[in-house]
Amino acid sequence: MTTETGTAPETAGTMTRFQATQALVALLDKEPVISSLGRSTFDLHGARDRPENFYLWGAMGMASSVGLGLARSMPHTKVIVLDGDGALLMNLGSLTTIGVLRPANLVVIVWDNEEYESTGGQKTHTARGTDLERLARAAGIDQAATVRDLAAFQEAVRRALAEPGPWLVVAKVKGDGVKRRVPRKPVYFKERFQAAMAELRAGAGEG
Amino acid sequence: MSWYEAMAEALLANGIRAMAYVPDEMTGELLERMENAPDVDVYSVTREEEGVGVLSGAYLGGRRGALIIQASGVGNSLNALASLNVACKVPLLLVVGERGGLKEFNPCQVPLGRAVPGLLEAIGVQTFRVDNEADIPELTQGAATLAFSTQLPVALLLTTRLTGGKPV
Repeated sequence: MTTETGTAPETAGTMTRFQATQALVALLDKEPVISSLGRSTFDLHGARDRPENFYLWGAMGMASSVGLGLARSMPHTKVIVLDGDGALLMNLGSLTTIGVLRPANLVVIVWDNEEYESTGGQKTHTARGTDLERLARAAGIDQAATVRDLAAFQEAVRRALAEPGPWLVVAKVKGDGVKRRVPRKPVYFKERFQAAMAELRAGAGEG
Repeated sequence: MSWYEAMAEALLANGIRAMAYVPDEMTGELLERMENAPDVDVYSVTREEEGVGVLSGAYLGGRRGALIIQASGVGNSLNALASLNVACKVPLLLVVGERGGLKEFNPCQVPLGRAVPGLLEAIGVQTFRVDNEADIPELTQGAATLAFSTQLPVALLLTTRLTGGKPV
């Protein structure tokens, strides 16, 4: 898939993360979604809270790794990760492990707003030239794309859900400044998620 | 039977079906046994913390996991262990090769290696020392029961008395 390049300035995109999250969940059935801590989690919960969502509240950087382990353990379903650019930068080794193991069912979406939004909006390296799509390709993830508007995002997600991966979709987004409250009940969400995954496996005959 | 054969057998008998590692000479033979075991999903990871993440995902997907690492790797895993496994009650077994204790020869391995039980205790992870091969089945079963029944990470520390330590 070709990236959107050209002469436009390399800035965070015109779509908001919340809009893109809403567009994503509209395309899902019961696929598990792992969201990184902070705004990725708040926007996912706000767009649609569902038992198949696993919200991270700490362990920054771990979203793609959790997604990898889940994807390998549940090969019959697509597994979606909603990562932050700052969080992914903390665990770049994960891209290489994904590139080596090549789980066909893993879709990593990076909400690249080029800043640490939850701590006051300080810039990340993606605002300074770091290109996550190129890093992913160099790590062996061939299905990688950067999208900057909602239509392109929706098309990328449709392809990622339909075609074998692993996929990395870098979505250039911005926050919308809306404070979304999520009940701080990590153990409840974990238990609910675990039960939902067991049900998915039973349905697929995986046991 | 060697200690690593006993350890591999005990891990498998207690339902371990996912394993992540950063290699260590002391546990090399154990890694090999686990890699050759049928239906164990093995992850070579770039950093021990990454192993915590993949095994957490594996557990949520239905596979019990063991992270087989050297003591230094515990230091690389603390935030993920505390804020994901302990706080959210996602269990896993840590199988840790001891450094910084008896027979240690590298001064730089001492400060963290000797602190591992204390560091894990500080974040709510219990550590059980494995000194003798004869104790392996009992300790592994006890650790696995504790981990997966109470939904917490638990560590087994493979001491140099068990493994012989790292060759100088």
